[in-house]
Amino acid sequence: MTLSIAKPLIRRHAEIGIFLIGAILVVIFASTSDGKWANLYNIGTILQVTATLGLMSLGVALVIGTGEIDISVGSTFGMGALAYLWLAAHVDPSLAAVAAVAVGAAIGLINGLLVTRTGTPSLIITLGTLMIFRGIAIALTEGFSFSVPYAARKGWAYFGLGGGEFLGFNTALYWLIIVLVILMVMLKAMPFGNRLLAVGGSAESAHSRGVRVSRIKLSAFVLCGVLAAFAGTLEAGKLGFADGSMGRLMELQAIASCVLGGCLLAGGRVSLIGALMGAFVLSSIQSYLVVTGVRPQWFILILGLIVVIAAYGDRSLRQWALRK
Amino acid sequence: MTNTHPLIQVKNLDLHFGAFHALKNVSVDFHAGELIGLVGDNGAGKTTLIRVLCGIYAPSSGEVFFDGKKIEKFHPKLAIDQGIETIQQSVGLCDNLSIARNFYLGREPVKRILGIPFLDFAKMREKSTRVIRQFGLRDNVSADDEVERLSGGERQSVKIGRAVEFMNRVVIMDEPTNHLSVREREHVNELAVQLKEQGLLVIYITHDIFQVHKLADRVVIMENGAKVADASTDAMTAEELEEVIRQGGRLVEKREAV
Repeated sequence: MTLSIAKPLIRRHAEIGIFLIGAILVVIFASTSDGKWANLYNIGTILQVTATLGLMSLGVALVIGTGEIDISVGSTFGMGALAYLWLAAHVDPSLAAVAAVAVGAAIGLINGLLVTRTGTPSLIITLGTLMIFRGIAIALTEGFSFSVPYAARKGWAYFGLGGGEFLGFNTALYWLIIVLVILMVMLKAMPFGNRLLAVGGSAESAHSRGVRVSRIKLSAFVLCGVLAAFAGTLEAGKLGFADGSMGRLMELQAIASCVLGGCLLAGGRVSLIGALMGAFVLSSIQSYLVVTGVRPQWFILILGLIVVIAAYGDRSLRQWALRK
Repeated sequence: MTNTHPLIQVKNLDLHFGAFHALKNVSVDFHAGELIGLVGDNGAGKTTLIRVLCGIYAPSSGEVFFDGKKIEKFHPKLAIDQGIETIQQSVGLCDNLSIARNFYLGREPVKRILGIPFLDFAKMREKSTRVIRQFGLRDNVSADDEVERLSGGERQSVKIGRAVEFMNRVVIMDEPTNHLSVREREHVNELAVQLKEQGLLVIYITHDIFQVHKLADRVVIMENGAKVADASTDAMTAEELEEVIRQGGRLVEKREAV
């Protein structure tokens, strides 16, 4: 069969499944939404959502690559957004962004230290910190929202940090591309990436070869926190305000993006571009449901169903490819 | 026994895993230029002992000296940096990485551009390709293939090739000939002798008594976490050696008493 030519390709590139699913969905969405989905404005919106979710997913993909998981990213996102907004009203947005990213790094450091020092599964540790930092975000805002006054929403830094558009796209998209390139080089062409994947493949073997497993895991958690907080910064820059619930449930979307994108939850296999495609597919589905007027109460249900079907489709494809 | 002071000296080593007493007051000297057979039944503590020597486990008490200097911190990185290379039985290769990437894991050669370290793929590929050809991996296996693809013997060959390639002072082999064909076995044993002749210390763990008797200068026998005998292979026949292992320390005590 001629189709079997594609088998080795699918075996080698786990992200092909999500690209196929993405292509199929784009065709379906474009042809059934009467132009409401496939127009430049809407695509721009989808890409902006993809950019922030994607940045978060890239960080989660690194942690998954080491065989751990970070589900606290939704709260880290919220904390980053709040830190940015609170400071951007007083100081230059670029400084505020640095501080927000530092908050993310601190949360990542806490996660990483708790996981590597205590040996407790990262699922339970980050479930705890998910709640802790969500609680702090809600307490900080006390039911109100943080916002940057309109007078302060100007200047290069503010526009560059998600608060404006360049060539028709929100500036967050360009940050995503920059971060993607840096991380891809790091993962594939630098010793750090080699060791990160080794730790995820077999922590015991990596340790026996002198790799400092804890240090690698810690770095992945810190990077993940940094990216989640930076994504929160960009989202806050776009909206100009945020409340304590900012980023809630986004952690699940980020993990779904990674898994749909071909990252192995057991660790050792990471596709950054796949994770991004996963984020794009999820954002597209959301947007489709919005523009076609699906009532919000059905939203999560339908999103969940599509995720399950997509995951099953991807798995079937890979099993087919593995068959001789 | 070629040098006056031992290259590795283990003194009163104890290791507990919770309630389990894995190593009991083990003291043993290893000299450069020696091929030492480490033998004993399953669970005797052979692998545990070498995992202390290569930094995977830290002892509960006791001391280890390397080249006369006391080892204060145990980590595989430190052991490898000092030139102790270990061919582990079940660990050492990451299935998800290519042969070239496994080969250099933890000490990747880099080219710096603006101070940023990038993997030197050309070097990684070239050296690991030469080694896998030398160790007889299938012709259709390339250094870019993931280790997952390899057979048990090929995996072992990669580990051995890696240990030999980086010129070290100590090579520890934990049942290196498992999964290997007769021809590959011979090759590994020849290598062990070659390394010894080059002045390295070779510690060889095996269940094959006759093989180790033929190869080793000295045999250290362990049982239940303790060293029960330490004797030159000239001093006993392979059959006697087998008897000692079967009876544990009792026979040795008897012989010494006589």
